[in-house]
Amino acid sequence: MTSKPSPAHDYPWQSDSAKPFIRIRDVTKKFGPVAAVDNVSLDIYKGELFCLLGGSGSGKSTLLRMLAGFEEPTAGSIEIDGQDMAHVPAYERPTNMMFQSYALFPHMSVERNVAYGLHRDNVAKGEIRQRVSDMLELVQLSGYERRKPNQLSGGQRQRVALARALIKRPKLLLLDEPLGALDKKLREETQFELVIIQETLGVTFIVVTHDQEEAMTLSTRIGVMNNGKIEQVGEPREIYEFPGNRFVADFIGSVNMFEGVVTENEADFVRIRSKDADCDIYVSHGVGCAPNQKLWYALRPEKMEISRERPDQKENFFEGNVEDIAYMGNQSAYRIRLKSGKIVRLTRTNRDRGEETPITWDETVFVSWGPSAGVVLIA
Amino acid sequence: MSETAQQDRVRPWRLADWFVRHGRTLVIGLPMLWLVIFFLAPFFVVFKISVSELAIARPPYLPLTSWEDGKLILTLNLGNFQYLIEDSLYVSSYLTSIRIAFFSTIFALLLGYPMAYVIARSTGHRRNLLLMLVMLPFWTSFLLRVYAWIGILKANGVINNFLMWTGVIDSPIVMMQTDFATYVGIVYTYLPFMILPLYANLAKLDTTLLEASSDLGARPLTTFLTITLPLSIPGIVAGSMLVFIPAIGEFVVPTLLGGPDTLMIGRVLWSEFFNNRDWPVASAVAMAMLVLLVLPVMWLRRAQSQQEAG
Repeated sequence: MTSKPSPAHDYPWQSDSAKPFIRIRDVTKKFGPVAAVDNVSLDIYKGELFCLLGGSGSGKSTLLRMLAGFEEPTAGSIEIDGQDMAHVPAYERPTNMMFQSYALFPHMSVERNVAYGLHRDNVAKGEIRQRVSDMLELVQLSGYERRKPNQLSGGQRQRVALARALIKRPKLLLLDEPLGALDKKLREETQFELVIIQETLGVTFIVVTHDQEEAMTLSTRIGVMNNGKIEQVGEPREIYEFPGNRFVADFIGSVNMFEGVVTENEADFVRIRSKDADCDIYVSHGVGCAPNQKLWYALRPEKMEISRERPDQKENFFEGNVEDIAYMGNQSAYRIRLKSGKIVRLTRTNRDRGEETPITWDETVFVSWGPSAGVVLIA
Repeated sequence: MSETAQQDRVRPWRLADWFVRHGRTLVIGLPMLWLVIFFLAPFFVVFKISVSELAIARPPYLPLTSWEDGKLILTLNLGNFQYLIEDSLYVSSYLTSIRIAFFSTIFALLLGYPMAYVIARSTGHRRNLLLMLVMLPFWTSFLLRVYAWIGILKANGVINNFLMWTGVIDSPIVMMQTDFATYVGIVYTYLPFMILPLYANLAKLDTTLLEASSDLGARPLTTFLTITLPLSIPGIVAGSMLVFIPAIGEFVVPTLLGGPDTLMIGRVLWSEFFNNRDWPVASAVAMAMLVLLVLPVMWLRRAQSQQEAG
């Protein structure tokens, strides 16, 4: 469910003339000698739902905290809506944040928590009451005004936190692992709700998450972070199908990685010899590489075919032994051991019911794939 | 056969079993016993003396019970309490005690809160060092420290000598034997009792709440007033009780530093007991003080537990 961008915005990151809403330029944040964020530059456009995706310690939260104004960059600049954010304290920024722990004020009722930001701006009492009740209705918490945070369930707290962060109609909403504390089912529901709210209000969202599935579902674009650096920025589909390097390929979804050497390098095809894969790999498009260069071939589990018969092709197949099968209902996952000792993961949709002779343990099988199924990675 | 064998096997465990079953009672019982012997029993002795009659005897009061014509007569002399109300000395010294204890608590809070805040916000070695400094005075005798204040406050003491040397004043400022000196002594003595509970409260304050407040547009002062301060009320109450309660009965500080007008209840009690040898009235003074302290404490505890429940 990639949220469909409304026609007004389209895909601003694809045009050269669009003006970014947030400009992060060469930002570095050091804690002592350690760079938590290392020379990051990033443009984010109005109305986007941008996900910063990475493992723990990748610097994604630090980057978010610098946007909110809780941390000062050691070097570099951050611009929001054309305004340089250096020396602008958190309480004067046009951003609001939803905290991972929600950070609800324990001594205030739901109503007062949500109204807190409006009281700080000296909004008239009547207007506050109206806006709070509208907001509570939006997050489906009408009737909970008088409750204290400790009288709410996790999902309700999450929605109070969202309401409190949205009430000031910020230009930019920062969400730190917004669904991290919810159970799986609630999470999936809330993901959809978040996207709907984001589209109704037209606020730019930046979401920090370590959950790649969540990032895929929510975002217009994803920035994959590792060791303080941004490894790749792109639409979910782009990140999944065309990962830029081994880290991204491995981090998003699961992947089989074969190391190989270029044997033929032409303008419209490349041939790779891989000891890992026991075979030659033929790629039907040119790659910027040199003969004899070492590179990697990334193949997703769902992009391969499994069969008992030797396929009618010279390359792009290998023989292996079925070591393990996991039946998962909608699909089956196979672990296949090659002669080289490498284990390959492969999934197949269970299209037929009551297959008569399904492939089973310890059988010898052939695994094949098309010339454009995998990605050649140089780094 | 098997039955006896089993019983034999169980027997060595009897004692352990007994401890397991009665361990709970033991754990609660020992401190209870301690309280009964060393707190409740003396309390009843004091209560008994407070309702007995003064006599020139040893001890200087009459027994409560007497035996006359085969009748057991119990005499409860409530005159001591009546006397407390009638003689304005006691009422005014109670009021003075409350006043001094109250303002000392306020001063200790105003001084202690920022100190506790800074300690709670600092980290690692710095935090430990600051906490050590707060507790360091306890390593010297309390009496000695009060005497040290005499050296600082007296006419030719440290402060006056310095001010005269710099030429700010011509003649020494009178500080000893004033309410001011009493306040200084009490606040100085009980400050750690204010700082420590406040520190414990402020240290566990979730800093993301402060960030959330700032994120929603609150300046640092507003964040302090709307988030930090309300959430530290339990610490403020605990610290204030720990200062107010002992300050009311304080005897040493007003005696050594205070003037003749600083009639605090502790001093009155002392002179009633040792100078006048009027044990019954002295005991009545003590009982009245207890009631005066216990009631507000109980009320506060109730208010606190209600707040936690709500």
